[in-house]
Amino acid sequence: MSNLVELPPRQIANSLEATPLQGVSQILKKKPVVSVVGLTKAYRKHVHSIPVLHGVNLEVENGEFISLVGQSGSGKSTLLHLIGLLDSIDSGSIHFEGQRIDNLATSVRDKIRNEAFGFVFQFYHLLPELTALENVLLPLMIAKGPLKWLFSRSKALAQAKALLDRVGLGHRMDHKPRELSGGEMQRTALARALISKPRLLLADEPTGNLDDESGAEVIRLLRTLNREEGLTILMVTHNLEITRDTDRIVRLSKGLVVDEEVQPEA
Amino acid sequence: MYKVLLCLRYLQTRWLAMVCIVSVMLGVATLIVVNSVMNGFSTKLRDRLHGLLSDIVIEAYDYDGFLDPKAKMAKIMADPYLAKNIEAMAPTLEIFAMLQYAYHDVPFTRSIRLIGIDPQSRAKVGGFTEFLTQPERKITPSFELTPEAKARQAKNHVLDRKPAYFQELPSDPSAPPPPDPPPSKPHEPQGLIIGHAIAHFRDRTQGSDGQVKDIRALEPGDDVIITTVSGQKMSPVVDRFAVADYFRSEMSEYDSMYVFVPLDHLQKLRTMEDRVTSILVRLKDFDEAPKVIKRLKEILKNEPVEVQTWEQKQGALLAAIRVEKGILNILLFMIIGVAGFGILAIFTMIVAEKTKDIGILKALGASRFGVMQIFLGYGLLLGLVGCLLGTAMGLAITHNINEIESIIGSITGQELFPRDIYYFDKIPTDVHPMGVFFVNIGAVLIAVLFSLIPAFRAASLNPVRALRYE
Ligand SMILES: Nc1ncnc2c1ncn2[C@@H]1O[C@H](COP(=O)(O)OP(=O)(O)O)[C@@H](O)[C@H]1O
Ligand SMILES: [Mg+2]
Repeated sequence: MSNLVELPPRQIANSLEATPLQGVSQILKKKPVVSVVGLTKAYRKHVHSIPVLHGVNLEVENGEFISLVGQSGSGKSTLLHLIGLLDSIDSGSIHFEGQRIDNLATSVRDKIRNEAFGFVFQFYHLLPELTALENVLLPLMIAKGPLKWLFSRSKALAQAKALLDRVGLGHRMDHKPRELSGGEMQRTALARALISKPRLLLADEPTGNLDDESGAEVIRLLRTLNREEGLTILMVTHNLEITRDTDRIVRLSKGLVVDEEVQPEA
Repeated sequence: MYKVLLCLRYLQTRWLAMVCIVSVMLGVATLIVVNSVMNGFSTKLRDRLHGLLSDIVIEAYDYDGFLDPKAKMAKIMADPYLAKNIEAMAPTLEIFAMLQYAYHDVPFTRSIRLIGIDPQSRAKVGGFTEFLTQPERKITPSFELTPEAKARQAKNHVLDRKPAYFQELPSDPSAPPPPDPPPSKPHEPQGLIIGHAIAHFRDRTQGSDGQVKDIRALEPGDDVIITTVSGQKMSPVVDRFAVADYFRSEMSEYDSMYVFVPLDHLQKLRTMEDRVTSILVRLKDFDEAPKVIKRLKEILKNEPVEVQTWEQKQGALLAAIRVEKGILNILLFMIIGVAGFGILAIFTMIVAEKTKDIGILKALGASRFGVMQIFLGYGLLLGLVGCLLGTAMGLAITHNINEIESIIGSITGQELFPRDIYYFDKIPTDVHPMGVFFVNIGAVLIAVLFSLIPAFRAASLNPVRALRYE
């Protein structure tokens, strides 16, 4: 992993600017970043109600790399979306860094998504009109108004370029998504998820659409980020091979967590 | 910042957006062209009317007029304020009349307005000499016949070509031959200035180039008979005149109605001593008109006269133009409204197409309002670009409207702007910068207004629904 050698001093920076709670968690390393209690969710279609989650309990500890597995339709994506504040819950609660977040105002939720969470999806979800570099910059642009953006532009650009370099796309920055391969798109999406220095990365089958080689590349990147920078990752996957690289496997079945197994240290 | 970036990118990559731009552009261009032509039309018409009508008219209530205009004018000029502001005054005597002439021995009769003027003083008031057709008369206006006209007059009468309808009934052959008429002293008829359209026919059949030609029915020196009424008694009076010159103002209403004769001649003919029906007043500065009118009314308050500006006199026509313009503008803004619905439809499509992008943006922390701004900004941008192009196009068309009209006319064989229906020989235009500005503002507002609904829909999209599938 030659391109991962030069790492920014992330831990130090984090502990300086983070909340006291996170500072403690950094030291204890066992404090939950996310804790989900009794989470239920049903989708309503006209009069029908389709229950998906029936009271999910889950704790994600700081610096953990968790695989979320389960049959198709078992509610993995739903859970991920709820934790990521992309949808509203029916009952239960979600805490992030000790603070309840599921009942916050929309604007605060938007801000948390922008600053604290990083998302990676199966279908990359890059904006087709923007270049790789612009896609990576998007979270920073969203965070800042036009004026602030102009002032911080050069810094942001350098940051985005460094990240693209890190995921091995330094030479493809000005390409539109349709000019990139699946693996390259997913690595661009990963760079975009990382640009705002998230405290939690939510990945929904990030390798689901990739060939083995590209998928392995993405997983290697995630593993390195987790190991070397202590990034907390919650990843949905179908691939058992991949779960072997993670700290813990959480199995979801019919809307409930049925099984958690801690992986032996790799 | 991402909003601006995305607006621009969506503009560059969606050709459907071009349709919106084109529809806004066409709407704006049409509004500008139509308004400019309407403005040109009304400005030109106002100029013409003003040119013909003098600034202020002191007018008697009836055809009988009032006595001794000189005394009145002296009274007016005695007032220091009026003396300072009045440039010139001219008494005139106006009366309806009937004019007859023979063209190729066929009699023609026209109803006319007969206007008695003193050419010198009338010239000072304006709106007269510049419309005469003989160059020398423009300098020194008079009713004198030119030598050529005199020659023609003499020739007409040497041959004694009386019009057929003046010929006597065939005489009884058995009757003794009538005695020779006594050698009459050659009667010099009074010269008159006749409206161009009265003395000419318009011929459309001639010329394959679509040009209309005027055929002259009355040459200078030709006879016309005018019948009108005398003063108080209203009994008919008749006199023979000879055409001295033509009055051509390009205002068909005037050119087809007005016949000018000397004031004193008309007064004598109508046996009305020194009576006139109106005094035309020209001001040094028309902005003073309201004050001058007030003062004139004070001075003439015991007289049976009305004092009006030319605008008040033509109030109905000017108001009609204003109303017409207002209605046209409403109709034309509906064109932009149609463009607005185009924007609505196309934006709704774009929002549907961009569902995924909207979901992504929201996942990355974009607020509802932020997403909404993208589409509002997009609408604004389309409106602005459309307005810019539309304004350019509208101004270009307005600038070259006569050329365009003649090209279209020659292609379709249909004259778009029939010169004789309208008052002008060219399509007049007048671009009002303020008007163009308001058209632009209106169009941009409509564009933004119609993008509001799709923008709102985009903002309320549930991101999960967009993100779940490819
Ligand atoms: N918008 C929706 N309306 C109705 N049902 C939905 C909707 N979204 C998801 N579901 C259903 O919820 C269940 C869980 O979906 P999902 O969380 O995507 O499962 P997974 O990611 O584990 O495959 C599925 O049965 C799916 O059909
Ligand atoms: Mg799923």
